[in-house]
Amino acid sequence: MQMKRRNFIKFLVGGVAGIQLTPLPWKFTDDVAIWTQNWPWVPVPPVGAVTKEKTVCSLCRGACGIEVRKIDNRAVKIEGRSDYPVNPGGICPLGMGGLQLLYNESIRFTSPMKRVGPRGSGVFMDISWDEALDILSGRISKLRKKGHPEALAAIDGNPNESTMALMVERLLKAVGSPNYVSMPSVGDTCSMVNYLQQGTGEMMAYDLENADCILSFGSGLLEGWGSPGRVLNAWGLWHDAHAKEKAVIIQVEARASNTASKADFWITPKPGTEAALALGIAHVLIKDRLCNVSFIENYCFGYHDWKSLDGQEHKGFKSMVLDEYSPQQVAGITGLQADKIKSLAHEFGKAKAPIAICGKGKGSLNGSLYEFMAIQSLNALVGNINKPGGVLVHEAMPLSDLQKLKNDQISLRGLKKQRLDQAGTSKYPFTNSLINNFLDAILKRHQSPVDTLLVFKANPVFTLPDTTACYKALKKIPFIVSFSPFKDETALMADLILPDHTYLEKMDDLVCPPGLQYPFYGLTKSVVDPVYNTENTGDAIIRLAKKIGGSVAESFQWPEYEDVLKTRASGLYSNGKGLVGYDASHPVWKMQKAGNRAAPDYSTFEEMWEAIKTGGFWFTAKHNYQNYSSIFKTPSKKFEFFSLRIKSAIDIAAKQKPLKKVLKDLGVAKNADEACMPHYSKDESSQDSTEYPLFMMPYEMINLASEWAPNPPFSNKTLLDNQLRNDESFTDINPQTAKANDLKQGDRVIIKSLAGRIKVRVNITEGAMPGIVYLPLGFGHTAYDEFLKGKGVNPNDIITTNRDPVSGQIVWWNTAVKLIKV
Amino acid sequence: MEKPDEKLGEGFLSSLNDFVPPWLDLRSTLSTGFFLLAGFIAALVVGWILFPMILYSKQPQPINFNHAVHIDEESGIEGETETEKCLYCHEFREDGSFAGIPKIDKCIECHDDPESSIGETLEEKEFLQNYVAEEKEVSWFSYYRQPDCVYFSHIAHVNMGKQECFVCHGDHGKSEKIPVYQQNRLTGYSINIWGKRLSGWKTNTWDRMKMDDCAECHTKTGHEENNACFVCHK
Amino acid sequence: MKKDHGHVGKKYGMVIDLDKCTGCGTCMTACAAENNVSVRKDESDKERSITWIQLYQISNGKKFPDTRYSYFPRPCMHCDEDGRGGHHPSCVSVCVASATKLDPHTGIVSQIYTRCIGCRYCQAACPFDARYFNWWDAYFPKEKGLERYLSPDVSPRMRGVIEKCSFCHHRLMRAKNQAYAEGRREIEEHEYITACTEACPVQAITFGDLNNPKHKVHELIQLPTAFRLLERLNTKPKVYYLSTKDWVRRLADNYRPGEFKRLSKGS
Repeated sequence: MQMKRRNFIKFLVGGVAGIQLTPLPWKFTDDVAIWTQNWPWVPVPPVGAVTKEKTVCSLCRGACGIEVRKIDNRAVKIEGRSDYPVNPGGICPLGMGGLQLLYNESIRFTSPMKRVGPRGSGVFMDISWDEALDILSGRISKLRKKGHPEALAAIDGNPNESTMALMVERLLKAVGSPNYVSMPSVGDTCSMVNYLQQGTGEMMAYDLENADCILSFGSGLLEGWGSPGRVLNAWGLWHDAHAKEKAVIIQVEARASNTASKADFWITPKPGTEAALALGIAHVLIKDRLCNVSFIENYCFGYHDWKSLDGQEHKGFKSMVLDEYSPQQVAGITGLQADKIKSLAHEFGKAKAPIAICGKGKGSLNGSLYEFMAIQSLNALVGNINKPGGVLVHEAMPLSDLQKLKNDQISLRGLKKQRLDQAGTSKYPFTNSLINNFLDAILKRHQSPVDTLLVFKANPVFTLPDTTACYKALKKIPFIVSFSPFKDETALMADLILPDHTYLEKMDDLVCPPGLQYPFYGLTKSVVDPVYNTENTGDAIIRLAKKIGGSVAESFQWPEYEDVLKTRASGLYSNGKGLVGYDASHPVWKMQKAGNRAAPDYSTFEEMWEAIKTGGFWFTAKHNYQNYSSIFKTPSKKFEFFSLRIKSAIDIAAKQKPLKKVLKDLGVAKNADEACMPHYSKDESSQDSTEYPLFMMPYEMINLASEWAPNPPFSNKTLLDNQLRNDESFTDINPQTAKANDLKQGDRVIIKSLAGRIKVRVNITEGAMPGIVYLPLGFGHTAYDEFLKGKGVNPNDIITTNRDPVSGQIVWWNTAVKLIKV
Repeated sequence: MEKPDEKLGEGFLSSLNDFVPPWLDLRSTLSTGFFLLAGFIAALVVGWILFPMILYSKQPQPINFNHAVHIDEESGIEGETETEKCLYCHEFREDGSFAGIPKIDKCIECHDDPESSIGETLEEKEFLQNYVAEEKEVSWFSYYRQPDCVYFSHIAHVNMGKQECFVCHGDHGKSEKIPVYQQNRLTGYSINIWGKRLSGWKTNTWDRMKMDDCAECHTKTGHEENNACFVCHK
Repeated sequence: MKKDHGHVGKKYGMVIDLDKCTGCGTCMTACAAENNVSVRKDESDKERSITWIQLYQISNGKKFPDTRYSYFPRPCMHCDEDGRGGHHPSCVSVCVASATKLDPHTGIVSQIYTRCIGCRYCQAACPFDARYFNWWDAYFPKEKGLERYLSPDVSPRMRGVIEKCSFCHHRLMRAKNQAYAEGRREIEEHEYITACTEACPVQAITFGDLNNPKHKVHELIQLPTAFRLLERLNTKPKVYYLSTKDWVRRLADNYRPGEFKRLSKGS
């Protein structure tokens, strides 16, 4: 019997028969099927114990309470907190995607780094923290030795009230540089208005929840304005089917934004004429006796014509408004119908608790001073100031000052040098910092006056209007240090990276979120261990100061950043009226209105601090309503329709130079009296309208991050396909505009302005005002990863910036453009 | 294949030839049968012995664990029933989720002194030295981990359904030595979920934990509604 | 609420108030984060991108400045038996692999990824476009480490299968576990809500048992402003909408002339 072919076949037949009686074929088939259900490359999330960590979202200034769900040490989901005073449970879509920023290695710096490739290439080399701090402290010490500490500058995106902003400014001052520049925000304009009209430079505090008529001048209530979690919740309250009295929402905006679409009334003046509309409404309120006369007569200044001590007659607000802003006149300016202005004014004037609010879009960009003054004047006219459902006036947040700064001779000499941005001079008497001037100063000089630039929580190359100018200016600076945890555009231009933790990995404070009606202090905490080799910038600054040594080190004697936070928070304790506990069934807006007099729910500072550390907040609901005789800190001790502070600034400057020149330097087109009052003047700098017949309006969306923090990829899902398609973003234009330019839906078009050109596709919509080209902010990143990079265009690239009168801030909402069909 | 001795077979065959009808070629029949049988047997060997050996990888646990010692009355682990004793270490968390194999913290609750052991075995000393002293987690292999697509609630079965641990886990809780962990190379499943009884024959409830076994028990115990897909799939 | 079907079980459902909805998209991101929905490089391709709950923008079609936009968040409708002999939701009837089923005890339509063979019949059958096909594996490149935020409650999907909104079924299981741990069999209304319901910052979404008179949804669906999408198809969606605006309500179905009933005199 040999193993011949035939026998082999017999053997196989036997084998085949035999194998049927084994588990092999059945199990193998089954296992292969199971294998296809468990591809090894599909991730399997590990299971573990579920815990929840409470903290605060600081992706924007809104300070919404968040809860991070964790599986063992991994954060797996961010949810809104219902036990947080600011936002009862809800958060915005960006906050929801925060973990994609925490865990995305390709957009984060994983360690301190120094640049090895050419600038902007993003090629860095890992170094140790010690080495990184040595490089920077060496550089700063060298500047100080050479007697030029002012060549150190900082661009800071931390909110003005935050402790981090204080730390950065303190570092510069200790070194001896006046060149601390903060990123512009609507808060700058708001606090300037408050300073000029009410005497305190605090943020606006709007009691929205108790109001019954909201007149919003372009504020994106549904686009992320204020604290998104809070404002959206208020929106829900206003529209609740069971609400006894629904609030009336009036949106003044030139685009059918979500807010405009969902508002009860949508008013569409030409962009840039909002001040005229506000004054037109004022006209009707005055004329039709819809004002609160007793408030105006007793607690306001400059309403009537008046005579100053030197015997000069001055025009008052009333006669200016009656003379120049009749509904017909305003109709001519704004393009609205006079009847509409009248009915709008009546709607506002007849409400029980009407509020006029300001700050375009999300409020991440600054506003126009006179426009905001005009809007705030409406609140004063109806007397809804410091009343429930009105604009509340608060004293400064009761945070303690830091210990006095130690200055040596070098730093004292440096601090005497003039700021590069000229903020605070007679041209910009009330402004703290002006980034556009700062960048101009660098561009104008042959050699950059800034040797070393520190950048904190800011991405000016992307977020500032006219990005090209910003890019050029930064390129001229010899050495840039970024403290960003993210590989943003500005960080990629840096020479040294000292990466901060992300907001989920660190402790930091959030003071007075924009628009909130009660004093509030929020504290974030580390909800996960730092994922990479990063360090809280507060701690990094302390270590840096210690390395620089001398008086700089003496100015930073805290062991760590938490001690700085504690030092400041001690004022909250001594203030004696705060709460660190919160019961969701008693929202603060109700407590405040009901005249809450609850004693603090802590008895020692340590107890309060521990509670803040776990709960993440401190607030006070005690408020003295009205109290008009003592809240206004203006020179007249009244609400000023006519700002005496502007007047005295003009008077002082007029001693040096002719009045005409003073007004011109301030950018005021009207006379000296009107310069002290809210007024409207046509923007004279508008370009040639035959060459550039259209205007470009950038706009913000709640589901697209346009500030410093990058956009979480999840929100890409929420974008409509007429906002972004493949890598192309769209411009919204009206069918009329489309017809005039021979454009069809989806056509590609170049938008050209004096500052540059960008290519987009066309979305034709009736939600756009004829003659205006709309572009969303937040697209067009050149940094980050495939989720963000190269998606759409950045409207900032083509914005031609003008200067707002008096404040000197950037005017970013009227860029003249033309469309060129591709 | 080994070759049979031809000469020896020759005489045997010729004597057999007397008994068989002439039309039957006995020689070729036998040879056919032989090869068929050989193939058959070889296949059985491959299917029953070789295949499982190849299909499953064997990974020893980092250290041994003696369940028997722990559920012994003298161990100090409390519980009226066996299940309660199991739950002493394999506990439910506050949210009702099942903690599974205990973390080292749980062990340290009793084995709190790395210097002195409770028992006398070498294994325990090794455990105290390498894990307790350094508070290092033991990287156990889990015998009963279901695949990612399966959701299983222990509390629903143990607390609400009053099922005893052995129903699914057999004698595991009484073992003195924990077995080598065997993992299916194709599917990544542990042999304990499905693979212990390759015949498919099931004598005990814990022999297999496939979907049909879950469904069978749900049906038998009158919990038909729990056979809805989403109850066990995620 | 009359019973559409024979059993007296739970019938989980959702009511979305379109007057409140602001179109912010938080429901979409909350859903994606909760359910491990992967994000691809190009999410602008709406035929390929996966969004268990999708926001649709609708317009009243009027000229500037009378234009108004509104938004329709659209999760899976979790259609029910039609009440006339037990026709299943259209996706369930066509599924050849028994990968999608209506659970009569919860009213939730399940989708089992490991069972799905990817034939996409259900996707074609769904009148609401609520089903999504995985053209690729879940996108979690190793170098990014994004898989670190994945929740173990929902298994990530492989390529070639359909996925859709599950009414966050795992949250029901989580709530049940919690109840069991406390020795209860029944769960409270607030214990089981979907991730989108929880996340909605204007509280436009309400979730609960439509059969339970104590639940808020039960009350809301009886409002005159309540309606469902494509009602005439008789798929009995368990997602209801509220709107006082006629132009919004009119877009919910293809009405024949004269068939649409106005709520208000105006608009």
